[in-house]
Amino acid sequence: MAFSVRLEGLDKRFGRGAREVHAVRDLSLEIGEREFFTFVGPSGCGKTTTLRMIAGLETPTAGRIWFGDTDVTALPPQQRDIAMVFQDIALFPYMTVRQNIGYPLRIAGLPRVRIDEKVEKVAATLGLSDKLAMKPGQLSGGQQQRVAIGRAIIKEPKVLLMDEPLSALDARLRVEMRTEILRLHREISSTIIYVTHDQVEAMTMSTRVAVMDQGRALQVDPPRVIFRRPADITVATFIGTPAMNIIPAVVVTTPAGLAIELLGRSIPVSARYHAALQGLKRVEVGLRPQAVRLMPPAPDLITGRVFLREPLGLEDEVLVETADGTRVKSVTAAGDEFPEKTVVGLEVSPRDIHLFSSDSRLALCYGIQ
Amino acid sequence: MSRLQRSGPLALLLVVLVLVAFPFYWMLLTSVTPREALFKPPYRLFRLDFSLGNYRELLFATEFARYFANSLIAAVGAIVLNVIAATLAGYGLTRFAFPGKKTFAFGTLFSYMFPPMLMAIPLYILFSALQMRNTYTGLILAHMAISLPLNIWLMWQYFQIVPLSLEEAAWTSGASRLAALRQVCLPSARPGILSVAIFSFALSWNDFTFAFILQTDRKMFTLPVGLASFVEQTGVHWGMVMAAAVLVSVPTFLLVFFLQRYLLSGLRTAG
Repeated sequence: MAFSVRLEGLDKRFGRGAREVHAVRDLSLEIGEREFFTFVGPSGCGKTTTLRMIAGLETPTAGRIWFGDTDVTALPPQQRDIAMVFQDIALFPYMTVRQNIGYPLRIAGLPRVRIDEKVEKVAATLGLSDKLAMKPGQLSGGQQQRVAIGRAIIKEPKVLLMDEPLSALDARLRVEMRTEILRLHREISSTIIYVTHDQVEAMTMSTRVAVMDQGRALQVDPPRVIFRRPADITVATFIGTPAMNIIPAVVVTTPAGLAIELLGRSIPVSARYHAALQGLKRVEVGLRPQAVRLMPPAPDLITGRVFLREPLGLEDEVLVETADGTRVKSVTAAGDEFPEKTVVGLEVSPRDIHLFSSDSRLALCYGIQ
Repeated sequence: MSRLQRSGPLALLLVVLVLVAFPFYWMLLTSVTPREALFKPPYRLFRLDFSLGNYRELLFATEFARYFANSLIAAVGAIVLNVIAATLAGYGLTRFAFPGKKTFAFGTLFSYMFPPMLMAIPLYILFSALQMRNTYTGLILAHMAISLPLNIWLMWQYFQIVPLSLEEAAWTSGASRLAALRQVCLPSARPGILSVAIFSFALSWNDFTFAFILQTDRKMFTLPVGLASFVEQTGVHWGMVMAAAVLVSVPTFLLVFFLQRYLLSGLRTAG
């Protein structure tokens, strides 16, 4: 049986006085049994510190950590029934692959025969059967990471912690290992807590994601919700490639009701969002580049000039500069249409216009239709 | 490449080799030359009157065997205690934060700069009061006073290159701190430990100052002091002195011969 993991007002400060770093601020969340839960955020956001506190490698300054019904806050890592995969892989260089994978069982005092049996089984699932006699130094980066994962899963931990396990690998291997880790999650019964700065890893692998910034969890939701309904501007711009356009707009009152004035165009806001915009003069408009379509210029469209066009293969990233100097990014089908310096119209569906508060940066509404 | 360019370094190597190896060769030769033949001209570079008489006399007519045993006990004691103390201290300095850590580290290195003679007199007075003169414990402690500071410094540096995540991986695998230190850290720091062992041995084995001042009882003499006493007697029996010198260099030779592989691998990882 796996554990659920509950963080309660978790707080961590490093250092003292002027050099104090407040790494994690009052973090509370619950991770369900057998969930694949990911902490994602830029470096220094507190995600690794949080993971290390769950592992018992750091002591929280305040707050509690619960595994199921047990308060583990004061327990050392050895007594937590966890396993961890490290960013720098951290294999024991003087041990063979067999000894590395079997190490947790050796510590647990299992007889040699049982250890060998289990090591061979784990090695087979990870495709390492012919590597057991080798030392880590003789393996490729991907194989090393497999060994590290093998060492972590062999004692079937209740909670499996992974700290940026793929960041040391090259791009192709990273994609391969992603599939592998997902397969593992289906096969083993551990709750997996994963830390990454790579939003693609977070979005593709997790059942739920916590987006962190400056020690706080900005949003905790399934990946799809985070993409479609980002809680604030930071989440909105961090998740999704290329980053969401954030453009200032003005709220105006028209005979037909409220509207926003975006880059010289007035776009009506559906009556059901009027309450959210009550009393606001300025808002930030969030627009995914995929939702900005390039058209021939027309009177009812936002107009601009193509500033930069970057081919990405199937699609091109196009940066358009409007009359007031605002730059809007669009992702469009690859082609020769609208080369650099041509004047274009930008078509945007009101469904794709997200509004954020200029002060609190929190989301006001998703789509204004 | 011309012949000269190729043979140039070789010739240099040969010169150095002769400079280093000739005294050694002369020592061996003298040690197996009978007393009567030693001062009889002509003095040749190669002689054939081989005899083990010097060795026989050294081992059975003098206290050499006792001095040898004394030196060995002191050296082994110094190695064991140095390795244990330096390893634990080096680990502690690397992994734990405590007030005064920097001061401690620099104090350690500073204390290494005192010449043995400066410490020998205070130690004589101290050990007299503690009745530790003419004991193995006293001599081993005195040798440690000289070698331990550098050893701690050395192990401190070695543990710093062992990544913390290795230990953390052991902890999260269920290993206690001591088990992780033994199974994960020590193998990585092995070249450092061997350096500590060799340095402690060399210092203890070659020490004259402390042994001369602290061990006044003839029965507690170590080799360097004992050998010196051979020279002080009315006639210098060079054949026997050289035989002793050969036997003294055997342990050093064996130690370096068997450990050089690890020492070199340590140099490689450090470089």
